[in-house]
Amino acid sequence: MARKSPPRNKNSTRKGRVSTPKRSWRGTLLRVSAVLLVVGLAGLAYLDALVRERFETHQWKLPARVYARPVELYEGRELTRHQIQRLLDLMRYREQSRAPVPGSYAFSGNRLLLHTRGFSRMADGEPARRLRLTLGGGHLRELTTGAGAELPLARLEPLQIGSIHPGHREDRVLVRLQDTPGLLLDMLLAVEDRNFHEHHGLSPRGLARAMIANIRAGGIAEGGSTLTQQLVKNFWLTNERSILRKLIEMPMALLLELHYDKEQILEAYINEVYLGQDGARAIHGMGLASRFWFGQPLEELEVHQFALLVALLKGPSYYDPRRHPERARERRNTVLEVAHREGVLSRAELVEFGQRELGVVPPGESALYAFPAFLDLVRRQLARDFSPDVLSGDGLQIQSTLDVLAQIAAENALGDFFRGERPAELNGAVVMSSPEQGDVLALVGNKAPRSAGFNRALDAVRPIGSLVKPAVVLTALERPEQYHLGLPVRDEPVEVKMPNGNSWKPQNYDGESRGPIPLLEALVDSRNQAIARLGLDLGVGAVADTLQRLGVKRDIPRYPSILLGSLELSPFEVAVMYQTLATGGFYTPLRSITDVMDRDGNTLARYPVSTEAVVDEGPAWLVRWALQQVVAEGTGRYAAARLPSLNLAGKTGTSDAFRDSWFAGFSGSRLTVVWLGRDDNRDTGFTGSSGALRIWTDVMERVPQRSLTLTPPEQIREVWLDRETGALSGPGCGEVASYPLLEASIPEQTTACGKAGQVKKGIFKWFKGFFD
Amino acid sequence: MVQRLFRLTLLCLWLAGCATAPRGPAPPLGIPENDPVLDSPALALLDEADRARQRGDAASAGRRLERALNLAPGSSWIYRRLAELRLEQGEPAAAEGFVRRALRNATATGPHYRASLHELLAVSLARQGDDAGARRARQTADSLRRQTR
Repeated sequence: MARKSPPRNKNSTRKGRVSTPKRSWRGTLLRVSAVLLVVGLAGLAYLDALVRERFETHQWKLPARVYARPVELYEGRELTRHQIQRLLDLMRYREQSRAPVPGSYAFSGNRLLLHTRGFSRMADGEPARRLRLTLGGGHLRELTTGAGAELPLARLEPLQIGSIHPGHREDRVLVRLQDTPGLLLDMLLAVEDRNFHEHHGLSPRGLARAMIANIRAGGIAEGGSTLTQQLVKNFWLTNERSILRKLIEMPMALLLELHYDKEQILEAYINEVYLGQDGARAIHGMGLASRFWFGQPLEELEVHQFALLVALLKGPSYYDPRRHPERARERRNTVLEVAHREGVLSRAELVEFGQRELGVVPPGESALYAFPAFLDLVRRQLARDFSPDVLSGDGLQIQSTLDVLAQIAAENALGDFFRGERPAELNGAVVMSSPEQGDVLALVGNKAPRSAGFNRALDAVRPIGSLVKPAVVLTALERPEQYHLGLPVRDEPVEVKMPNGNSWKPQNYDGESRGPIPLLEALVDSRNQAIARLGLDLGVGAVADTLQRLGVKRDIPRYPSILLGSLELSPFEVAVMYQTLATGGFYTPLRSITDVMDRDGNTLARYPVSTEAVVDEGPAWLVRWALQQVVAEGTGRYAAARLPSLNLAGKTGTSDAFRDSWFAGFSGSRLTVVWLGRDDNRDTGFTGSSGALRIWTDVMERVPQRSLTLTPPEQIREVWLDRETGALSGPGCGEVASYPLLEASIPEQTTACGKAGQVKKGIFKWFKGFFD
Repeated sequence: MVQRLFRLTLLCLWLAGCATAPRGPAPPLGIPENDPVLDSPALALLDEADRARQRGDAASAGRRLERALNLAPGSSWIYRRLAELRLEQGEPAAAEGFVRRALRNATATGPHYRASLHELLAVSLARQGDDAGARRARQTADSLRRQTR
């Protein structure tokens, strides 16, 4: 239907000329307003959804935290004052009269009063409590509770040695509002948002007051944004300063306040706020910042340290207390002054804490990331079982096997070796484990142990030289009817034609050949030709099989040269192999983690000790005994001379042209492998004896441990054998020596002299002889 | 021949002299006298491990026993307890490793204790389907028990 046209009228037309644009302008305004209102409402609805969804579903990404094993305290354990002091320093304990608070201690002569922090939130943890320790003679002589009651056993809380965040670079130590020190909150509100509990997200009064305060201070002393606005900025927005960001920030702050109470907002703030940068790692939240800057938990900080944290809110990089200490100090004191003005601090406190040092931990001194090589091992093990998302976000607690004192001992021993004049390219690695459980106690992958990078303990895969010889000897001893330690073997030139036409002609270290020598001597003096001949008799394949049973997982080439250690392994793999020898024939995989717990301490995964018998008791015992002789009188005797009170066993290894210097050995409770070599794979100038063994001995000297005691199993007999023929003999019968032999190995042949003193094969033979 | 008979008679008399009246039931099985755990702070952990086990917390029991190993290296008893725990958890292969290690550390213990370890070995082998191995372990246990009679 056609629209009716209004009657034309000149006046009206004239009027219309004036009024139509007005109506049109109003209409446009109305329309624009309506559109803006709709857009604004839609925007608000969107922001509302955004705020609610993110805040309610938000879980802070908490990286997995890795802890060293808790130090066990009990009467009789080896513990010097120096060691416990080192531990307390690492754990950031404070010396304080009467140790009044967790994380403090007081020494009085050889008595130590210690207030532990406890770790009851971890599975099987312990509460914070006072302990009294009496030290003496390098041992912990007495352990009681603070009240003096007997205590058989106590543990220090585990030291956090790092965190794992493979997917992103955020880090955080979550703190609950109720656990946050009240003084820190008071100071925070005094400086950042005095009206926090009154406003609804925005504070025009606060903005005005901040402006006045800043004019008075002649710089930025207070911020105008409320904490809620700051949280919005940290949580959802970028640091970009723009009108648009402000326009979005304000309604979001209002919406946040509309939906959530002040406590929730404050807790989110203290956990979200950005407070520093550690390389690629962003330091978020007061909890982590406290550890990053002061190496201590938040609850243990003092007034001036709280003030510094609040000071850093203005600009963690600009006020970085390590790089710009003066600037940071000035800002901190401004914070103290504001806190005083607002009645949070007394005049006396302002004066006292204004004079304090900043109290930050020097870079690299924090235990966090102090042991990169070990953390690397933990990370690799975890990566097999947990997704990067879980590792980087779920706040897992990883209980590792690291023994901090053993780790420091290993680092220092390696470090001392390199303090002499050494080629720059020379480097080394140390792996230490406990044979009982297969726990990795220490791992050093670099002569500069704080440096991450090439982890030689795990990744320097090098020829193991004579470290392979115990496997050859073990293969022989597992055939007791054919071989025993007193059996003469030929230390004579040997040549093997290889399929490619080359010849393999091993030489001895001294370039000489001794002729027939007892098998034991071949191992003790590391005679290449004798061991090569023995290995060829046994078969290269048989020796390779033994190596695999001992725990070598790599493919082993079936070449004769593996008999003298052309096989390439990392120090860690050598430790796995020697672990089996140290335990007397039990393959006990090395573990760096014992438990993985969720953030509340519930166990998610256990990595229990596992052990499997792979070598019979008799041969396993004999090899351990033979390795003891290597240290007592063979190529490892330097260790016996330095540590006469400790029974040790082990083997030197030197690869071709002195490229690698090795020593692998063990006591009754510690296994240590040391490698020394150059990254460019050139001559080190060291044999196993002159290089790695020195470091190994230093490591073992610094670590409390038990002597190796070897009780012979039932089937072992001690017999006198003729050195040249291997025939049964007796003491005083010329060139003879006594050897432990399996019953099945005792030779039938007897020298004339030794007939009188011969040992019969077991009780059955004795009975048989009795009735014969 | 006469001399041989004489010697045989002597031996019989000697053995008869050594014999004692049959004993009553075997003493309750406890920690062997010379086990290092007895003189170590690990003893407290064994009790805690027991309690954890009773309340069905195998992870906690395992953690405590592994700590105990650190404090009393060379103990046979702790390995035995670990073996029992693994058996309860349905891991007979893991239990076998521990019981063999318990045996390795038990050279200085009495035959009754070692017999009990062989019984435990027999159970872990049988649960892995190794009936022949289990039978041999039981025979060893029996022969050790005969030594105690």
